[in-house]
Amino acid sequence: MANLGPAHYSPYPVAFYDDLLTPPEGKALLLTEIVDEEVAMREIARVMLTSENATIFPGPQVLYAWNDEAKKKATLIKEMAEVLNAKMIPMYDYRPKYPKIDAEVEINPNHPNLTIWHNNIKACIFVGVHCHYANVALKMIRSETDCYTAAICGLSGHEDAMATIRDQHASEMARFIEIAKEVKKELGK
Amino acid sequence: MSIKNMTEEKNWSGQKLVSTDYLLFEAPREKHFMTGSEVLKEAIKRCTVDASVSYPITPQSEAAHLIGELWAEGYVGLYFRGENEFGVMSEVQGCAMAGARTVTTTSGPGTLRAMENFPTWSGTRIPCQLVLMARGINSPLTIQPDNLEVSFLLETGCMIWYAENVQELFDMSIAAFTVAEKPDVHVPIITAVDGFFVSHTRESVMLPADDIALHPYDPYASPLPPIDSEMPPGRFLRDPFVMKSNYISYATHASWQWEVRSAVERSKPYARHYLQGLVHTTGDEDAEIVFVACGTATHQAKEAHRELAKLGIKSKVVKLRTIRPFPHQELLEATKNAKYIFVPEFNIVGWLDKEVTQSLYGKTEAKIVGRPRVAGGMSMPAEAILREVFENTNVKGA
Amino acid sequence: MSVDIYKINPEFRDIMPQEIIDLEDNATWAGESVEKRGINDLTDKKEILEEHSLCAGCPEAAALRYILAALPLPEETIIVNSTGCTSLMFPHIALHTVHSMFGNQNAVASGIKRTLDWRFPDKTKDVVVLAGDGATIDIGLDYTLQSFFRQEKITTICFDNEVYANTGGQESGSTPKGQVFKMAPKGKVFDKVPMWELAVTSGCQYSVKLTASAPKKVAKVLREAVLIARELGPTYIHLYTPCILEIGLAANEGLWEMKEQDKDRFADFKYVSPEAEAYLKECKKEGLL
Repeated sequence: MANLGPAHYSPYPVAFYDDLLTPPEGKALLLTEIVDEEVAMREIARVMLTSENATIFPGPQVLYAWNDEAKKKATLIKEMAEVLNAKMIPMYDYRPKYPKIDAEVEINPNHPNLTIWHNNIKACIFVGVHCHYANVALKMIRSETDCYTAAICGLSGHEDAMATIRDQHASEMARFIEIAKEVKKELGK
Repeated sequence: MSIKNMTEEKNWSGQKLVSTDYLLFEAPREKHFMTGSEVLKEAIKRCTVDASVSYPITPQSEAAHLIGELWAEGYVGLYFRGENEFGVMSEVQGCAMAGARTVTTTSGPGTLRAMENFPTWSGTRIPCQLVLMARGINSPLTIQPDNLEVSFLLETGCMIWYAENVQELFDMSIAAFTVAEKPDVHVPIITAVDGFFVSHTRESVMLPADDIALHPYDPYASPLPPIDSEMPPGRFLRDPFVMKSNYISYATHASWQWEVRSAVERSKPYARHYLQGLVHTTGDEDAEIVFVACGTATHQAKEAHRELAKLGIKSKVVKLRTIRPFPHQELLEATKNAKYIFVPEFNIVGWLDKEVTQSLYGKTEAKIVGRPRVAGGMSMPAEAILREVFENTNVKGA
Repeated sequence: MSVDIYKINPEFRDIMPQEIIDLEDNATWAGESVEKRGINDLTDKKEILEEHSLCAGCPEAAALRYILAALPLPEETIIVNSTGCTSLMFPHIALHTVHSMFGNQNAVASGIKRTLDWRFPDKTKDVVVLAGDGATIDIGLDYTLQSFFRQEKITTICFDNEVYANTGGQESGSTPKGQVFKMAPKGKVFDKVPMWELAVTSGCQYSVKLTASAPKKVAKVLREAVLIARELGPTYIHLYTPCILEIGLAANEGLWEMKEQDKDRFADFKYVSPEAEAYLKECKKEGLL
């Protein structure tokens, strides 16, 4: 079922098993429900603020200064981490790293579970990771760990995350940060 | 001709850029009379296509050389003849990976020669289009229509759509680019038609003017970077042996393959919109006799429906427009009143019969009959279909 | 635009690994000037190749490092690879690269090169193929030669270890006559395929056979080949990179083996077409060589 993991031994594709697809434009996905974007943003913020070792995984599209949008997003993500009391661990490329990853400081789409287990991460946000690699990682995380995954996507979103918002450009991210600040206040964190 | 001639409003050949919805549903159309091969040229002409690679094999050679004419006329960015189909499909992979909207065509033995490329295409998430003009597979050799080759493609991870006639080929091959290029889909699309029955037969078609075209492909709105050194990460190999990672995560390989199949599923809402339904039903809504078919077999099933109607017997024709993704929901809905389901096919193995039977297993009490099957260029007269109806149901003939 | 894809956003610099920081700060991207790059960078500059799993002392690994150091414009170079031992290094190269299947590397590269020329008519984008002898000469012979017939503007590099090493040591077309390998238990029956000669008759503007015993020699040949391919047509480099494992040598004996072959099977062969010769002279004048 499309819930919090660990789901199965084998990577869990909700599109195939549960008929869950990416949310339509203007909406978001929370577990199995299509919801308003703001509802999902609140929930993502709440989970990040109330889970152990909450971590943001920034990917290549925001880590490198390859255009103005990336530079803006970098500043916003740093602020996001501060607001959410979250660590940041980069997914700086997608190669199967040799000889092995240093699970404490990096995450890799070929075995994201290692980083999550090593750091005991219970909630995370994927942002700036190319969709294919995010999806490959998210299916494994859902099957093998109990980590809550959220995907902040600049394109269509990720149904393999427990929460996903789509079409997120710099201005949408800024809105998410404002909502996160509100939630933080409400929770007294 | 240069890509530098493209502006915000017009592509490099001066056509006005329009949305897919406008091109398919709103632009005024005029009547023409042409073959499937000729209509493919008309479709590609209106699609701001960057690249095409070709190779001769009957019956797709004409379509392939007509696309070459489009290149000579300034509509298609780059075009050349490859050395054989395996080479062509690899060249297509290179073009698509480097950010080109790419189209190619092949048939029968050509498909099989290229076979290794298709799961590589889908695994590497390229949104290229293959127009498959189905012809028989050796041995023995036949150039004639027969769609056995589609059965070999079912598990390659590519989308497969099937056009019934020349008009549908036009509209589908345009919609194909748009759906395949959606960032959450972004897998190859195989647009199948029956060779000769569609590629070489003239039909009336309604076409929009040729001074409009689709917006170009954006290779940066894609689930992984194009190979052009312009998008991070700078260190990027497409695609590495994931098995060579530490703690040997073979699960990555499984997850990757699941991702490709998930991408095909994600195409459903877009395909529904641009194809106006994954299936199309005609005939009597509540009929107990239902024909499920794709391609030209649908056309023949509609003939059979008309003949049965003359005898006062109700029947329904359910045309599947998409094979991958398979329209499970729509098929179940369309056959809910069926007592008899006939799956007429242009191949001897009955691949569509197997798909339909598996899809409806445990969900229908209808008797599913995978006949008639014709192959190697045989036609499928309505009489052959009717005979199956009379022999397998309690319906009386004239 | 391209070197920017290696620039780290300042907000993230403190969480990035040293290797990525070094790629920004200490690698020799060509930028405006080609002269700054070369073999000398291997001593203290950040290399484009990261740690990989090839055998200790593997000549392929050394040769790849020379080639990467010699590329005139690495930030605009795409390398297309094919299955073999070299594939184990490719995920760790800090460029955009492609693993084709097996044998179709020149076909994939043809599609890439033509598309990049179409999409970026004002930019230089170099496309290089790098594959083993099995991929280039056996399973890929058709596609390799056809890309030469078509005059594709690509540099093809064959890492010849005279065997299918990655699959455990089977005879290849490039194995010398008489050599015993798996699948040739009585010794190879036919001669080593002279791919460097086939390259010439198939239309290459430049074809060179050499070993990887001398880094600066490899670098010079690579530089010439890439420059000629940019302007004139296909170029071919046939490079002896022995598999020390399969021929029973120790990790430190690869260099000796290559030096021996400099005098034997891999004695120099160099073909430069008249147009390429003239072009190389111009390049020297402009300081590109």
